[in-house]
Order: sequence, then C-alpha cells, then structure tokens
Amino acid sequence: MIVKHLSPVTGLPHADPSNSAVTHAASKSMSTTTQKTPRRGNGGWLQVRKPLSRKKSLWLAQGAFLLPLLLWCAISYVPFLWHPMITVQNPGSVDYFQPGMQVDRAEFKEQNQKQIDHGGLPATGTRENPVYLPAPHRVAKALVTAFLTPPIRDGEPWLHESLGHSIRIIFLGFLFSAVLGIPLGLLCGTFALVSKLGEPFVDFVRYMPAPAFGALSVAILGIDDAPKVAIIFVGTFFQMVLVLANTTRSLPIPLLEAAQTLGAGRRQLLMNVVVPGVLPMLYRDMRILLGWAWTYLIVAELIGASSGISFFIYQQAKYRNYDNVYAAIILIGLIGLGTDLILKGLGRVFFPWEKDKG
Amino acid sequence: MEEALVLPDYLDLSPELRKRFESIAARETILEVSHLRKEFPGMENRPPILGDISFEVKRREFICVIGASGCGKSTMLRMLGGLEPCTAGEVRVSGKSVHGPGADRGMVFQEYTLFPWLTVKKNVMFGPRMAGQGRDSSEAEALQWLEMVGLADRVDAYPNQLSGGMKQRVAIARALANYPDILLMDEPFGALDAQTRSQMQRHLLQIWRNVDVTILFVTHDLDEAIFLADRIVVLGAHPGRILEIIQVPVDRPRSQAQALSPHFLAVKKRLEQLIHPEDPDAVKSLPMIRMARVGTEAEP
Ligand SMILES: Nc1ncnc2c1ncn2[C@@H]1O[C@H](COP(=O)(O)OP(=O)(O)OP(=O)(O)O)[C@@H](O)[C@H]1O
Ligand SMILES: [Mg+2]
Repeated sequence: MIVKHLSPVTGLPHADPSNSAVTHAASKSMSTTTQKTPRRGNGGWLQVRKPLSRKKSLWLAQGAFLLPLLLWCAISYVPFLWHPMITVQNPGSVDYFQPGMQVDRAEFKEQNQKQIDHGGLPATGTRENPVYLPAPHRVAKALVTAFLTPPIRDGEPWLHESLGHSIRIIFLGFLFSAVLGIPLGLLCGTFALVSKLGEPFVDFVRYMPAPAFGALSVAILGIDDAPKVAIIFVGTFFQMVLVLANTTRSLPIPLLEAAQTLGAGRRQLLMNVVVPGVLPMLYRDMRILLGWAWTYLIVAELIGASSGISFFIYQQAKYRNYDNVYAAIILIGLIGLGTDLILKGLGRVFFPWEKDKG
Repeated sequence: MEEALVLPDYLDLSPELRKRFESIAARETILEVSHLRKEFPGMENRPPILGDISFEVKRREFICVIGASGCGKSTMLRMLGGLEPCTAGEVRVSGKSVHGPGADRGMVFQEYTLFPWLTVKKNVMFGPRMAGQGRDSSEAEALQWLEMVGLADRVDAYPNQLSGGMKQRVAIARALANYPDILLMDEPFGALDAQTRSQMQRHLLQIWRNVDVTILFVTHDLDEAIFLADRIVVLGAHPGRILEIIQVPVDRPRSQAQALSPHFLAVKKRLEQLIHPEDPDAVKSLPMIRMARVGTEAEP
C-alpha cells in the first residue's frame, strides 16, 4: 500500500526509512480504529424500535413500490424469465390452432412434434405471458384510456362515474358505522355494564361474514344502493365496536384517577379524559377500519343491481380486458393510499401532542 | 394518638423547636385517620396489608410517611385519596368523612399523570374547569400557579416536551390549583436523578412556605423524609402498622448543610433502626440514642 509510506499528517512520502516503521504502525492503528468504531447515531438500518432518518424512510418507501414494479417489468419484458405461453402466428397443419390463439408451451411442442412425425407443417408462434398478466406499459395505458373510453353499452356508467359511485357507498356505509360505532365503542370501553351487555352479542355477529347478509339485505332494502351501504355497515360496525372498546380500555387508569382527584365527576371523566385521551388511537383504528370497508365494497357492489368499480372490474375480466382490470385495482390502491396519507397528515394537525408516534 | 404528639425523649429540643411543635399541635386537625384497615379480596387468611392505622395531621403540617418497600405506603395514600376503599376504619378530612376521590385532596403520583393532550397551562386549568370556573379566571389562576412552580415560560408546551422534574412541578401546580386541604404525594420525586431531586425538595418546601396547604409525602428515602418533614410516620410491614411517629428536630428553613447536623443524623439513625432492624423483633428494645444538645438558631 502506498499509504504506508506516506506520513499520516503531511501526506508526503518519507525520506527517512527509519521513520517508516512508526508511520506504518500509526496508519495501521488508524485504520483499525476506523474499522472497529461502530457506526452510531442514526447510522444503522436495523435498530429495535428506533425511527429511521427521514431520508432513509423516503428511500424505503420508494423501494417498497419500485421493487414489485421492477419484478413485474422483469417478468414482462425479459422473455426467458417466465413467458409460459405461446401465441400462435401461423397454425401450420394443427387443426385447432388459430392465429392469435394462446397455448401452453408444452402443448404447443407436443402438437408440433405430432405434425413433424406425420409429415405435417409445424405451427409457428412467439413466447408470451398469459393474458391475465399484461405488461406494465399496457396497464399504464389502460389507466388513462379507461377513463376516456365510453361505456360499451348506452346507459352504462363511465369509469369515473363508477368510481364516484363506489366512493359514495363506502362513505355512507362507513359514516353510519362511525356514527353508531364510535359512541358505542367508547361506552363499552368505559362502562363494564355496557360492555357486558353489548360485547358478547357484537362478538357473535362479528363472526358472521358480512356477505352472508347480502341476499337478506336486498330482500329488505331493495336493489339500489341501500343494501350495498348496509353490507359496508355490517362489515365494519361490529368490528369497530370491539376494536374501539379495546382501544378505550387501553387508556392508563392513573390518568383517570388523577382526574378524579382533581374533582372530575363521571360525565366529566368520560368527556374530558376518556374521549380526548383515546382520540388519537381511535383515529388510527378508524384509518385501518376504512381499509376493511373497501374489502366489503367488492361484495356489496355485486349484489342487487351491480354497480361501481367492482362491477367495472367484473365486466372487464369477462371481456378479458385484463389491463383494465389491473388499472382498476391499482386505482383502488391509489385511492386507499391517498386517503390514508391525507388522513395521516390531518392526524398530525389534530393531535399535535402525538408528534413522534407516527 | 396522644402519644404521637409526645416529643421523643431521646432528643433534647431547643426551646424554639419545642415551641414550634407545640404550636403545630395546637392547630386544627386537617386529616384524621382512625383504625384504618386494608385487606385485598382473596387474602383473608394472611395478615392485612394495613393493620390498624391511626394518626392525625395538623393544618400546614408537613408529614412524611416512610417504610420498607411493600409495607403499604401507596395503599394507605390511595385510601386517603379515596381511590381505594377501606376494609375498616375511617378517614376524615377537615371533619368530613372520605368516600371516594375529591378535589379537597390533591394527589401527585410517582408516575407522570399529566394529560398528554393538554398543554401545561390547560393541565393546570383542569381542576378549576371541572369545578365550573370560567375559562378566563381559571387561566389566570393556572398562570399564577405555574409562575409559582417556575414554569411560566413553558405554559404552552405539551407534557411530552418536558423533563421529569418539570412534569412533576406541573403536577404539583395542577393539584394546588384546586386549593386542596391536603396534598397527598406518593414518591413524586422517585424517578428523578439525585440533583433534580434535591432541587425539587427545596422547591417544594418553598411552595409549602408560601401556600396554606398541608402535605402528606410518601417516600422511602430517609434523607428526603428528614429534610422535608415536621413529623415522620414510620410504617412497618405484615401487617402494615405505625412503628413510630418521629418529630424532626431540625430547624426551618431547612438547608442541605443540615444533613450533617447531629439532630439530622440522630433521626436518620433511628429511622434506619426502625426500617431495617437486624432483628425485626428487637425494634421495641432498641437502645435510645443519647446525644448532646446542639445550639440551634432561632426561627425566622
Ligand atoms: N390491588 C392489589 N391487590 C392485592 N394486593 C395488593 C394490591 N395492591 C397492593 N397490594 C399489596 O399490598 C402491599 C403494599 O403495596 P404498596 O404498593 O402499598 O406498597 P408500598 O409501601 O407503596 O411499596 P413501595 O415502596 O415499593 O412503593 C404489597 O404487598 C402489595 O403486593
Ligand atoms: Mg408505593
């Protein structure tokens, strides 16, 4: 190493060889210390319950999206990675092959072998991925064109109309859930009486899958939006009561005791301690529950008169427009992520004392 | 109860101190604890957590309660605060029997119990607001108390932005804003470092000198108890009972320097004998400590 012959201080070569041993030792000890000193502070990526630096978090968040996208691109654009199908170009002498038809690679090989054995003309084709996995650029294109394409039949909604309809159903269903569920959850978590009276039954209903009420709610509420809203309600309300009750119970008792020694009565304890005390946690719970509402939407929209984004997906899948299907699914994801980020940001405004808790 | 007020005969007292103790004894009784007993459900065939506890606290007195860990100090304090029901016996504050928590008994706990969603100022305003006081007047009140505990510049901070010592000062201000008859404190400085702790002790004494409030202070730190208290209630365990009530023959205002005074050391020695006896049965037959009379300066 050249460095060994340089003075660590001046960086100049040593003329005096008797000095070089010292320099050697010095540079060696220097390099070992720099190696041995562990990186401290915000240096580590894997620290137990420590927040990452802002820059690192941003990198990771991008990576979280880039990695799956890269994988998808690789599978789509690098031919030998997957491409298990063959799209027939020229059917040759195979009876049932047609141009544009997709067949399994093994099947294609077998049929061609048969033709070769019998002196027929082998078919030609290109390797491709199955239709249900369109390439990213096609989905990206569909994401735009789906909004610009008029519906196939007159009177059917445009994509943005379907989407608007879905959002309205979710909003209404979740609103009803919240209006009833938040007070009930708070009461269950505060008063043992309400909890003992309400929670066993709620727990019982909770295990019944919400879609099971589909036919029933159509029979009762008709075929329009009402049964769909009802499904969202059933799907989220019962979970909400139990989740919020547990959250409410996690409020530290000493806070309640302190309030009592300051003269707070029962009503004041509820309104001035329990409610503000659990509000940030409640808000976080509601953000998670809102995600569940989207899950139930898919069922809700297929009962009665089909509508909304789920109907769009269902229909496009039937026409084998899988790029549209992916576009719609990604759209739901984007809407969900967008709402959650907005709600998270609002949470920081609503609950300034919760700053370092995400 | 009478014997509690008898001066321990192992110490000679200066006339000034004697006069002080006599004047305290002549004041009205703020807290009256009689035959207090505590058992927790399901522990019937074991000795009770607290046996038969009786004592009185006079107005503006500073009482420390000391005892080995687990002897029931916190339990007793919670009973006085009304947070824990009594198995038997009675607690009276200013003559009124205690049944449940109330604003006449302020409490400060070891763990931090400030409301994290309220700013420092609003935390202190909590009590007055609960009592139906208007926003403006409770705010003025809160600012005044925060000034007293030296936090006038942090009124708009949230509790999680404060140090441990600051949090406890806010907790004290919050309790005092209700003008309680008695302030019950359960190892409020237990989680603080030594430096902050002694700072807080001096600070508390200063507040106590300026405010008409009686303080019952639980601690397991002997020096803290002697530094703060007029009288020290020494609790023993199994069952929790009063071993002795010691009058602290150290002049006020107190200073750190007194920690080396013979009176201070004598009390400390006695407390050590009571709390950590070599032979638990020998407590009663301990030889009394004799010591020379020490000249004390007159009280200001
Ligand atoms: N809720 C409860 N149920 C049963 N036993 C309890 C309960 N609370 C306290 N105890 C018991 O009562 C005894 C006294 O507890 P306490 O907390 O009052 O002690 P302490 O003197 O404050 O101790 P420390 O100095 O460690 O704070 C302990 O033995 C404890 O196990
Ligand atoms: Mg305790």
